[in-house]
Amino acid sequence: MSAPYRPDPDLPLSGIRVIDLTVVWSGPGATALLGDLGAEVIRVEGNDRVSRQVSARTTKESIARTGYHGGTYPDKDPGERPYDRSALFNWHSRNKLAACMNLDTPEGHEAFLELVAVSDVLVENNSNGVLEKLGIGHERLLEANPRLVVARMPPLGMSGPMSDYLGYGPNFNSLVGIAAMDGYEGEEPDSAGENYHMDEAAPAGLAFAVMAKLWDRETTGEGGLIEFAQAETVMAEIGEFVLDHQLNGRDPAVLGNGDPWVVQDVVRVRGEDAWVAWSVRDDRDWAGLLEVPGLAEDPRLPAADADGAVRRAATAGIRAAVADWAASRTADEVVDALVARRVPVTEVMTEPQLLADEHLAARGWWRERSHPSVGTHRYPGHPWRADDFDLAFGRPVPGFGEDNEHVYLTVLGWPRERYDALVERGLITDHQLA
Amino acid sequence: MTGAQALSGLRVLDLSRWVAGEYATKLFADFGADVVKVEKPGEGSLTRAWGPFPGDVPDPERSALFLHLNTNKRSVALDLRADADREVLLGLVARADALVESFRPGHLERLGLGPDVLRDLNPRLVITRISAFGQTGPWRDREASGLVLQAAGGPMHATGQADRAPLRKPGLLEHYTVGRSAGQATMGALLRARRTDRGAVLDIAGQEVLLAGADRRASYLLSASYSGITAPRGARSPHRHGATFTGPFRAADGFVMVYVTNQAFWNRFVHLVGADDAAFRERYLDRQTVMDADRDDFMDYVAAWIGKRPKIEVMEAAEAARIPVTAYLSVSEVLAHPHFRERGAFVGAEHPVAGRLEYAGPPWRMDRGYALRSAAPLLDQHGAAVREEALS
Repeated sequence: MSAPYRPDPDLPLSGIRVIDLTVVWSGPGATALLGDLGAEVIRVEGNDRVSRQVSARTTKESIARTGYHGGTYPDKDPGERPYDRSALFNWHSRNKLAACMNLDTPEGHEAFLELVAVSDVLVENNSNGVLEKLGIGHERLLEANPRLVVARMPPLGMSGPMSDYLGYGPNFNSLVGIAAMDGYEGEEPDSAGENYHMDEAAPAGLAFAVMAKLWDRETTGEGGLIEFAQAETVMAEIGEFVLDHQLNGRDPAVLGNGDPWVVQDVVRVRGEDAWVAWSVRDDRDWAGLLEVPGLAEDPRLPAADADGAVRRAATAGIRAAVADWAASRTADEVVDALVARRVPVTEVMTEPQLLADEHLAARGWWRERSHPSVGTHRYPGHPWRADDFDLAFGRPVPGFGEDNEHVYLTVLGWPRERYDALVERGLITDHQLA
Repeated sequence: MTGAQALSGLRVLDLSRWVAGEYATKLFADFGADVVKVEKPGEGSLTRAWGPFPGDVPDPERSALFLHLNTNKRSVALDLRADADREVLLGLVARADALVESFRPGHLERLGLGPDVLRDLNPRLVITRISAFGQTGPWRDREASGLVLQAAGGPMHATGQADRAPLRKPGLLEHYTVGRSAGQATMGALLRARRTDRGAVLDIAGQEVLLAGADRRASYLLSASYSGITAPRGARSPHRHGATFTGPFRAADGFVMVYVTNQAFWNRFVHLVGADDAAFRERYLDRQTVMDADRDDFMDYVAAWIGKRPKIEVMEAAEAARIPVTAYLSVSEVLAHPHFRERGAFVGAEHPVAGRLEYAGPPWRMDRGYALRSAAPLLDQHGAAVREEALS
């Protein structure tokens, strides 16, 4: 087994210990960001419940029976330890530690409260009431450690008539107005399918909130609760439409790949399922587009002196002209022609293309890492970078229970006999049962 | 005025002109920091020209986008090419904790205001630089729109319908996403500066923020790295398998989002829609997978059941049975909804030109947290005071 990763002591959250009780997407995404910043993030996982979106019983055969492609596993093989090998978990697991602790047992409960006493932050995104049932609601945690920052992420908050509603990201997008404006241009909103934007929005917001609370703890000396209602966080992203309704009494239209100001589209180019996105925002972009050989002569394009209003009125013709021009060309030909004239453009990038992308390679974005359960692979990099310090990217994955000894013996300071006794009883293990 | 907030006392300069930078600094302003927007004289931020506007008549003081993004901030108009105004800016820099900018890479340097100059003046300064593709690399100088960012960074190739063009997310969501990450990065670097007395220069590339995203992009990328797959486009998540049944359905008066992701939800759902139909329950209960004709029959049955009922009724029935099914609410329905009303999710403020409006309120709740102290500033509203502070 590999050693627990110990990051640079000069990072923003060096010396901060985070208990990670998160599941699925938004919560684990948030704790990943805290780990990037140098916090010691300890995932507390029971061996009796699924905490990594993967059942321990998953096999190649069970996958085949459901018709699933299995591509979330290295070489499409769940292997002996599927819970260490799934991209659904491993995309966010960099830097994290993993300890086995069954919170529904008296032994696990006791150990957990000991961990709370020596930690700075706890993050959880379970349904409302789950922690209370386990006897570890935030009041109990803050009693055990008044300096603890407890971040809870109930999608609709901890109060209000809908607070107990079940759902995933796409459900809550629908409840805050985002799904109703998502879809192909001029069509019904159900044409969009699913959109996971709430999961995208919560992690950085939660990390900001935790850090703001830690900043304030320097002043007040106290931790406390952060009630992070994910739906309300994502609602801020349509704040202009909240005002527009009050100003103009209307709801947002379904605009698809279009835009109220920018003339733009996504067009098919030569190649299998290959597409290019382009935009004309302003006069400068327009002048650039009109210099593109083979396109400039199209009679559907308004003249060079056309202003924004004229271009918007002619948007259908402009878009048709670009679509026809692009259809017989490769993505590279289309992109190169527009980039040379400083028009915003890119191919709609598939994952394999991004793995081979020269810009990301030059910026060293992908990180190659190894782990005994998974092998050696490249991992998606950080969302941002600093000139003055390197965000942590140590061990890519903690195997289930991989850091049991570190957490129980070093962090909690247990005598070896106490630890061994729970191992003996099967309460601390390094394999998942559920 | 309200009492002290978590970030009271922090000083942030906002040189950005578009959504990402303004949203990053809004997070600071709404939690107590003194955020000064440095705007172009006569024109101001680009978000002042975006709208939507009352009656769709452009007015830089009535742009909903600007009003939303710049709550609790002050405004000073400075010409960064004029010596006297540069003096003011440098005076502000000397006293600031953080500076956020989103010019094209190299623009600050060309103005003679690059990070070296600013940090000479204030070694503790955190400088947050937002761009489309980063401050380095072969794509550094490429132009980008929100659509282009989503196509280069987001999971767009996998969103939309299988036989149609990739579909972007609506609104300006990608810019907000980038801005939130820029704010998070800035907050991190400020914590470090507090401990070490050393500032930082942060490179926020919109593309990389989106590539690292939890809207499945990062997991799709890792899946590709693990097994070579391209995430397929279609209404259902490429990650799904087993007893799952997800996606939008048409109700009698709108739409609902169904999210049945496991066996327990599946069985509850079969009981709900087949409550009066023993044959349907017999056929579909406990199924792991439905395919082909089985699936078509199931979909038709469910679509018909939902299609007959109002969206709220479908949601309430499903929630009562503990199944994740939610109604598509329009913005106006959200604004009026008792849940969000009861929680105080919208907060009112008076603006001298735009009048009294209700704004999307706290993105999260905590003691000494969010407060709406003042609506967005008029262009150069605080010019005299800010200039005086800067030169004192």
